[in-house]
Amino acid sequence: MFCAMANVRLVDADQAPLLARPYYERGDPGPIVAALAQVPEVLEACLPFLGVVYGRSAVPARRKELVALRTSALLRCRYCVEAHTVVALDAGVSPAEVRALLGLEPTEAVFADPAELTLLAWVDAVAGGVGPVDPSLRAGLAGHFDDYEVVELTLLAGATLMLNRFCTALELPTSPETLRRLAAAGVAGAVR
Amino acid sequence: MTTAGAIAEAVAVGVLPGRVWLYSNYHCNLACTYCLTDSAPGVPRRVLPADHMLALAEEARDLGFTALGVTGGEPFLVSNMAEVLARLAELLPVVVLSNGTLFRGRRLEWLRPLAGLPVKIQISLDHAEPEPNDAARGEGCHATVLSAITRLRELGIGVRVATTGDEATDADRERLCALHRELGIGDEDHVVRPVVRRGRAAEAGLGRAVGPSDLPPELTITADGAFWSPFGPTVQGGRLDTDLLLTRTTLPLATPAGALLRLVEGRPRGADAGMGIR
Repeated sequence: MFCAMANVRLVDADQAPLLARPYYERGDPGPIVAALAQVPEVLEACLPFLGVVYGRSAVPARRKELVALRTSALLRCRYCVEAHTVVALDAGVSPAEVRALLGLEPTEAVFADPAELTLLAWVDAVAGGVGPVDPSLRAGLAGHFDDYEVVELTLLAGATLMLNRFCTALELPTSPETLRRLAAAGVAGAVR
Repeated sequence: MTTAGAIAEAVAVGVLPGRVWLYSNYHCNLACTYCLTDSAPGVPRRVLPADHMLALAEEARDLGFTALGVTGGEPFLVSNMAEVLARLAELLPVVVLSNGTLFRGRRLEWLRPLAGLPVKIQISLDHAEPEPNDAARGEGCHATVLSAITRLRELGIGVRVATTGDEATDADRERLCALHRELGIGDEDHVVRPVVRRGRAAEAGLGRAVGPSDLPPELTITADGAFWSPFGPTVQGGRLDTDLLLTRTTLPLATPAGALLRLVEGRPRGADAGMGIR
């Protein structure tokens, strides 16, 4: 499965608890599931939630990945940055945009869409700050996004914050396939 | 229907077995060759505290379960076990599994309050003769157990006999049954079960491999969580098996009971009858 990097035991398929077994039916479920499988009732509640938050929805996948990757970069979650970089590339985010989301380039120099720049400012305030969020940022979003989109994207930032800390604290290992994809895209050095 | 109502109905109509098992502890004064839980004197004790057992029993009764089982490890290594059993028996009838080797002197006296209560002590006895019995269970066990059965019955405490291993010949079985009848244990109180290839038995290559479809869904609570069956929370090489784990949450009991019911409802009735593991 994975190299032994995590600081909790990742549950193998042959030890998968009964409620976790559906997540192993199509092979390696990844380290988040393999860790959550230690507590099947939590896994059973979390995975449907995460599936809805990160899955296909009314909000375009590209915008969702901008939020997930930017949040993960702000929280310096190595696992989430590597995983979401691959997903972001698949969702149409360019390698240059990945570097900007990682803070290696100014976002204003790479992103041209005012809606996306406004969204990134919102994410920086929500995920990178504490206390109340500047009302002017919320007002700025209103010009580009409906309320339902603001709700979904903000929840996505929050869920990503949770996973960032979970994956970082437990030192979850990135799969060899993800590392190969990062190398093939020429961004492996940027995300490490 | 509420989860509690659905569980009660499932128990009432036999979709879920009526007994809830509690693993009181994992340590044991013996180290049997086929032990599921790799129990022995020095292993981690994994004790289920008495107040937790009582809370589980109370909720089990309220959910409609009809009986309790207490197992280990050797439950009677827990110092206040007789008192715990008496309090459990105020809630539901109890069967407690024991190797039967500790019932002498003060420990036997401790059991006196159990006389007349709905508590039965199920004692392991695998063979009519000492040699094959003690080869798996430990030197001197056979004689000690026969003596214990007699003493417990003299105190008025209910006794059952459990035989592990179903490879015996008809003649072996007949001699064993003659012995338990001679001790005053009727056939209805003699349980025969196969060696299951889990725990130490798996390390020794003994017994039959089983999965959930071979085992009745008997809700089983341990210090590590709730399991599908008392054959679930096995230990091999010091590591707890989780393949038959239901939930880590054990209180409220409705949480693992609800999970068990959802899993059971996904399979046909009677699908667990194939290997006679009951």
